[in-house]
Amino acid sequence: MKNDRKRTCMMITIPILVLFFTFNTLPLLKGFMYSFTNFKGYGDYDWVGLRNYIDLFQDARVGKSYLFTFKFALVGTILVNVISLIMALALNSKIKFKSALRGIYFIPNILGGLVVGYIFGFIFTYILPAIGKAAGIEFLSSSWLSSTKWAWFAIVIVAAWQSIAMNTIIYISGLQTVPEDVYEAGSIDGATGWTKFKNLTFPLIMPFFTINMVLCMKNFLMAFDQIMALTKGGPAQSTESISFLIYQNGMGGGQFGFQSANAVIFFIVIVAISVFQLTFFGKKEEQL
Amino acid sequence: MNNKKAVVVCSAAVFSSVSLLLGGCGKESDNGKIQIEMVQYKPEAVKAFEEMEKRFNESHDDIELKIESPNDAMTVLKTRFIKEDVPDIIGIGGDINYSNFVDSDMLADISDFEGLSTIKQAYLDIDKNLEFVPMEGTYAVPYVANAAGILYNRTMFQENGWEIPTTWDEFIELLETSQASGQLPLYFGFKDTWTCLAPWNAMACDLAPADVCQQVNKGETTFAEEYRELSEKILQLLPYAQADPFAYSYNDACTAFARGESAMYCIGSYAVPQILSVNPDLDIDSFVFPANDNADEQLLNSGIDLQFCVMKDCKNKEAAYEVLNFLLEDESIQIYLDEQNAVPCKDSDFTLPSMLDGMKTYIDEGKMVDYQDHYYPSEMSVDALIQTYLMEGDTDAFLENFDKQWIRYNRDLIRKVQNYEAEHSSDERSER
Amino acid sequence: MKKRNSAEKINWPITILLIVGCVTVFFPLYMAVIIAFKQPSEMTNDIAGALAFPSSWGFDNFVEAMRVTDFWHSLGNSLLITISTVILAIVIHSLAGYAIGRNMGKSKFYHLSYLYIVSGMFVPFAILMMPLVKQTSQMGIGNWVGVIILYVVFYMPMNLMLYSGYLKNIPIALEEAARVDGASTWKTYWKIIFPNMKPMHATVAVLTALSVWNDVMTPLVIMSGTAKNTLPLAQLNFQTQFGTNYNLAFASYLLALIPILIFYLVCQKQILNGVVNGAVK
Repeated sequence: MKNDRKRTCMMITIPILVLFFTFNTLPLLKGFMYSFTNFKGYGDYDWVGLRNYIDLFQDARVGKSYLFTFKFALVGTILVNVISLIMALALNSKIKFKSALRGIYFIPNILGGLVVGYIFGFIFTYILPAIGKAAGIEFLSSSWLSSTKWAWFAIVIVAAWQSIAMNTIIYISGLQTVPEDVYEAGSIDGATGWTKFKNLTFPLIMPFFTINMVLCMKNFLMAFDQIMALTKGGPAQSTESISFLIYQNGMGGGQFGFQSANAVIFFIVIVAISVFQLTFFGKKEEQL
Repeated sequence: MNNKKAVVVCSAAVFSSVSLLLGGCGKESDNGKIQIEMVQYKPEAVKAFEEMEKRFNESHDDIELKIESPNDAMTVLKTRFIKEDVPDIIGIGGDINYSNFVDSDMLADISDFEGLSTIKQAYLDIDKNLEFVPMEGTYAVPYVANAAGILYNRTMFQENGWEIPTTWDEFIELLETSQASGQLPLYFGFKDTWTCLAPWNAMACDLAPADVCQQVNKGETTFAEEYRELSEKILQLLPYAQADPFAYSYNDACTAFARGESAMYCIGSYAVPQILSVNPDLDIDSFVFPANDNADEQLLNSGIDLQFCVMKDCKNKEAAYEVLNFLLEDESIQIYLDEQNAVPCKDSDFTLPSMLDGMKTYIDEGKMVDYQDHYYPSEMSVDALIQTYLMEGDTDAFLENFDKQWIRYNRDLIRKVQNYEAEHSSDERSER
Repeated sequence: MKKRNSAEKINWPITILLIVGCVTVFFPLYMAVIIAFKQPSEMTNDIAGALAFPSSWGFDNFVEAMRVTDFWHSLGNSLLITISTVILAIVIHSLAGYAIGRNMGKSKFYHLSYLYIVSGMFVPFAILMMPLVKQTSQMGIGNWVGVIILYVVFYMPMNLMLYSGYLKNIPIALEEAARVDGASTWKTYWKIIFPNMKPMHATVAVLTALSVWNDVMTPLVIMSGTAKNTLPLAQLNFQTQFGTNYNLAFASYLLALIPILIFYLVCQKQILNGVVNGAVK
């Protein structure tokens, strides 16, 4: 019996690992190789040794993009997880128009970059400043998108608006695994509201919290679409994320080799963060 | 029932994967004709090219022309190069991509193509300048160009009796007059950083040498020296535009100009269709940016918008030339011009769209200089550097940074140019 | 029973809050809809004008958008790619989630496999792109087949996380009971585990379908030169270098939104109906 289980699992896992290696690791290794060249993405190229990596650590623009990306991802991840957890609890409670509401809150996630860019561009450029001026609110009265101080936060808001739907779905499906009798037992003990959530619900959906933290962190760290749609890295290069540089200069420009080096370092950094998250929350899961 | 469902899912999976493998391809059959495949990068001109393709195939029995106008064509082209699925002819812009393709030795030398003699020399020169190091031979046929300077609202100018300025001082005076009369003179869409290049390029025609980038690469000068006046002057435009121009996009600026919110808009002829889509009745004309004090020394900012290159891998150059000949016939060019408003690069009689009235003499006389940014590597993001400068206004810091960044992003190229120069000058010496 | 009924009383304060919150969705959506109905000549930077109704509610933009994008063909391609990917993802990724997720607590090999695949999620696509373009074309799958295979690989990390996370809440006792009856692991999986993961299948289907449906980059680079368009690829038509036709584009985006929204609503029912509650624990 035991052997059958072992063999079956192996026979599932090996082809999957092979598939994954072929279409993810193999091209990654090739990309890694390009990071030692001055390849433009086409044509011929020369080997440049470690030059790209040395440049990378001296490049102020890359340094700035790391700072921006982490600030952006940290704030975004916290914001999205708090809101989507609340949304999931609300949408999962006994409410009227459940399907309709779930459908409506899902829509932001489907709207394409062009639509989001135009609409929120209009809101930030015209509507908010008009409201700000009318109400005499100083920090609203000029466009956030043209402010080196606020543009990043405008993108956080839009990115959160879009990604809350996805994280909410994951939390909702996590909430389905919480058996009703746990609640019933809880209410007999007189657990209500916050204590109920903290002591009963949250521990049970902890695995989903971990997943959401990792996925959300990943999505924000690799944010590209919303930046393209709203600021294209501006104003004054204040919202250039790492992915933005990798795409813009690696693919659009002639820096494929250099940006491959950037991507390799970035990859290592995110993996480190995520493994930390996974082990950290994994330990928490066990404790609970 | 669970079992049944599993079966359904499983068979669906198998079915879809089988259909995946079977569905695959299906290429058109060979009919004995020589096939010439062309990819051109302007999807907005797809109708014109479909028409040309149709006419070509109707009039040629031996060659079958296939023109593709994919979206995001530069990405498509680059991926097709990687796939080694290279078209015979490509239609691209005269910009840094072209320079890179020439430099990567991907294009065929077409100096024996007769049609080249009908092209205006100014545009052939522009292409020549785009080569990183001077190459022997010709690698592109310029087809159509665009021009940039100032677009203005002709009706508004006539009503107010404003004159077209011919010098920088007159221009500033016009901006003052317009502003004093309560009319916003200029509108900028600097949120889209590339629009910062429009005034920059147009003014550079008068204020910086056309080959400043090549000169810098050779180590003969610095940008701090050549771009100073340009940098100082571009800053002077800001007070005459709407407040916080960095909040508004290219599209916002087009809409604002179309709605008469500004008298002038510093942009290229390429923006006209977008402006007219908002206000089809707007009477637009243009004038050359008067950035210096001598009207006779001013040059029009014009660059190649579309040119054709034959790829080195093209198997049948004769047939490719036949296609080029067809595309360069006056009738074909007219199809393009009717569809898109553009400046033909061929030296022949075409009717120019009325919004180019103010630039016509420059075009006819060939008094033109290419866009400066066609020499900038896109990864350097000069547009973003200019946007930053316009926001901060620190000329010295900007120019110093410009020189520094230039060296950083063009390191390999500078070495290549200087090697070339060294070899070249030693050749000359030994010849003597 | 009594307790249940009292718990099922509708929570009106939350309902009302959620309805009010819909403004954050409806306002942008309202703007998108009116722009989709307007003509380019009605576009303005003036707030009142931008929020005003279009001068007429004709469907011309939608008809034109469908023509420009070759709607039915592009839709067909998008559906083909999305549906195939979703089916393959549910089958392959759930198996992976089971095989790896169930064993990773005990075995180092599976734990490392898990981390290996999950870490693949963080590879920026830009670095993979060029090598993948070359690789797929050499393997003769530089077409929609290749795109589907790539999607199955790209979304494997996320879905593996989701499935193995979900499995943590499905007790081993459940399958052990079946094994006592002499069923093989393979059979147990399809009979017991797979059906029990229904809410997660629906979640995975929604998340995967959504990402695939909206993706531009993969089909653009992998299928370039095959003259086949997905909807997002065809929608690039509205944006050219120097001009964007927002009216047609918005009409087209709204059209493309409908199938995926319907799909979501269908799946959403599954997420709820498939509650394993009683059966588990």
